[in-house]
Amino acid sequence: MDQKRLLAAIALSVGILLLFEMWNRGNAPVPPPRPVATQQADVPLPAVPAPATPQVAPGAAPGAPQAAGPGETAVTAAPPAIPAQRVQVENTRVQGALTARGLSLDQLTLRDYRETVEPNSPNVTLLAPRGRPEGYFAQWGWTQADGRTPVPNNDTDWTVTGGPLGPNSPVTFRWDNGQGQIFQAVVSLDANYMFEVRQSVENTSAEAVTVLPWARIRRERTPQVQGFFILHEGFIAVQDGRLTEMTYSTGRDEGNSRRALGSAWENEAAEGWAGLSDKYWLTALTRLDRNERIRSAFRHIPDAGVDRWQVDIAPAAPQLIAPGQSAGFGSRLFAGAKEVRLLDDYRDRLHIQDFDKAIDFGWFYFITKPFFYALDYLFILTGNFGVAILIFTLALKILFFPLANKAYKSMSRMRLVAPKMQEIRERYKDDPQKMQAEMMALYKSEKINPASGCLPILVQIPVFFALYKVLFVTIEMRHAPFFGWIRDLSDMDPTNAFTLFGLIPWDPPLFLHLPIWAILMGLTMFIQQKLNPQPPDPIQQKIFAWLPVIFTFMLASFPAGLVIYWTWNNLLSIAQQWYIMRLDAKAQAAKPPAQGGTGGAPPAPKGGGKLAGPAAAKK
Amino acid sequence: MNPAQHVLKGAIVTYQWTLRPFIGANCRFHPSCSHYAIEAVTEHGAVKGAAMSAWRILRCNPWNAGGYDPVPPRKPGLNRLRPAASPSAGPDTRPES
Repeated sequence: MDQKRLLAAIALSVGILLLFEMWNRGNAPVPPPRPVATQQADVPLPAVPAPATPQVAPGAAPGAPQAAGPGETAVTAAPPAIPAQRVQVENTRVQGALTARGLSLDQLTLRDYRETVEPNSPNVTLLAPRGRPEGYFAQWGWTQADGRTPVPNNDTDWTVTGGPLGPNSPVTFRWDNGQGQIFQAVVSLDANYMFEVRQSVENTSAEAVTVLPWARIRRERTPQVQGFFILHEGFIAVQDGRLTEMTYSTGRDEGNSRRALGSAWENEAAEGWAGLSDKYWLTALTRLDRNERIRSAFRHIPDAGVDRWQVDIAPAAPQLIAPGQSAGFGSRLFAGAKEVRLLDDYRDRLHIQDFDKAIDFGWFYFITKPFFYALDYLFILTGNFGVAILIFTLALKILFFPLANKAYKSMSRMRLVAPKMQEIRERYKDDPQKMQAEMMALYKSEKINPASGCLPILVQIPVFFALYKVLFVTIEMRHAPFFGWIRDLSDMDPTNAFTLFGLIPWDPPLFLHLPIWAILMGLTMFIQQKLNPQPPDPIQQKIFAWLPVIFTFMLASFPAGLVIYWTWNNLLSIAQQWYIMRLDAKAQAAKPPAQGGTGGAPPAPKGGGKLAGPAAAKK
Repeated sequence: MNPAQHVLKGAIVTYQWTLRPFIGANCRFHPSCSHYAIEAVTEHGAVKGAAMSAWRILRCNPWNAGGYDPVPPRKPGLNRLRPAASPSAGPDTRPES
């Protein structure tokens, strides 16, 4: 009766999980890559980096009338009629454009990455102009810290010198505010994903001015996230060696509770960077001058029901520029794919602290990072990331074989004496104390070590978790094919048993997705369980029996690479266990023990004389 | 029982019901390490119980004979005087008999 109820509970839980999954996917905003004819500056940018000086109110209050910066002054009723001048951006890896109106990098596609596995699918678009739903851009500007110096805003048309922007061909933007201050920004680009912007203000007036230069990244909507705990997506920063990660939902909560402060998170540091991270892509800002302290902030800006996200950096304090003097601020913008070796290179060469931590290697960084290098090496060697996974898992299994060997050996002997143990269990079920004593005596007389122990098993867990994590986060798996129908290891296996693998023409909901690799995974898991000793608790046994089914459905929509890894790992465990058990059975047959290790019919119960004290069993 | 004890026990029970079926019960002792941990935390408090459990897991390896190894009972007088006893109290306890 209880068991039936338990089964019902399990079924219900699985159902809820699946429904949640479906709801989750159904609710996720689908990126609409439609080309909208956009106009510049028609969406207000309410937030600017909060100046460090307290007399200037933080600019996060949307539409606040204070003249704190370009955001507020940009709220214009009608956008300017003349189209903004655009400066093309191009190197071998990216293609995009800067807009001279408002000085922002608002278009960037990654030439090495495509949206889908189809060879003619469009390149991945990382940055898009403001005003589009998928708007995502970087912008550079100033906040007036003295309350009177006119600073450039979103509608400012900068004068462009040079272009198009490419490696070794920087572009200069210039704007004269008409009151003696000349603003300038020199933008350059390397051969990969790194932009460099040197902002400066020359004060030709007779009075000193105070301005705060800043750089920011702005995202106009919440991207679709995986929402899975082993992968971080959202705000990310490393500041003075400390990694800070904040998801979009936490950012919203923090932004709401810190609304008066104008930021969801803010920090001043001697070193570091801050940005927005997707699973595979990143935009991040850092300062150029290593001796300059920076202030970084994460901001959530609710705007008519739409969540906008912003990361900005600025010098620690506003700059006072005396007459005839100039002051500047240099920053770097990374916008591109999170390729491990590239981030490593930037970290070492450009001294961007812990920049490789933009890839979510997690707590086991010291294991996951080397694992990545090993996998990458195998990938280069074999040319197929799926094969690399198989080889690496096999290597790990071989490495752990001595430990597991001991474990399985005792496990198989344990199975042989299991009937005797059952016998003892039933005979002394009213006297647990005595039952344990008998059990230990049995172990002693059979010369078995019931198991290899908890320690060897516990040691393996982080290792295999680390491998799992590497597979989950690495970009190398993206659009990497495997054999047969697997064309993208990072996407779910497209086959489905519920359509009889394509024979029935219908499109079942996601929770009715049951691909071949998931079924194989479930099967291997089931076999592996059969080879393991059953847990003593009957309820646990029931759960145990259902786990393969639950996991088959749970992993059905996981990246195929992970399901393949899991299946392969199970298969190796089974092979290993089967091999050891066979060896052991042979050894048993060669020298028949006194107690007959057949594992068949339960032998006659041992008498009390056999009963050794538990203390004796210990030594 | 204080909150820390509850949290620890909850974590151990969660392990027993989720992870344990996967990695298999591999303990060389009786009671198993997780049951030992629950009992130790209940009997000896969160800090000492956790330390005893950690020591038990460290001992649970192929180079240890294993066998019957219950949680040592609390020594009423002594425990009060020296609450932060060393975790090595675990191994050298002998069951009564």
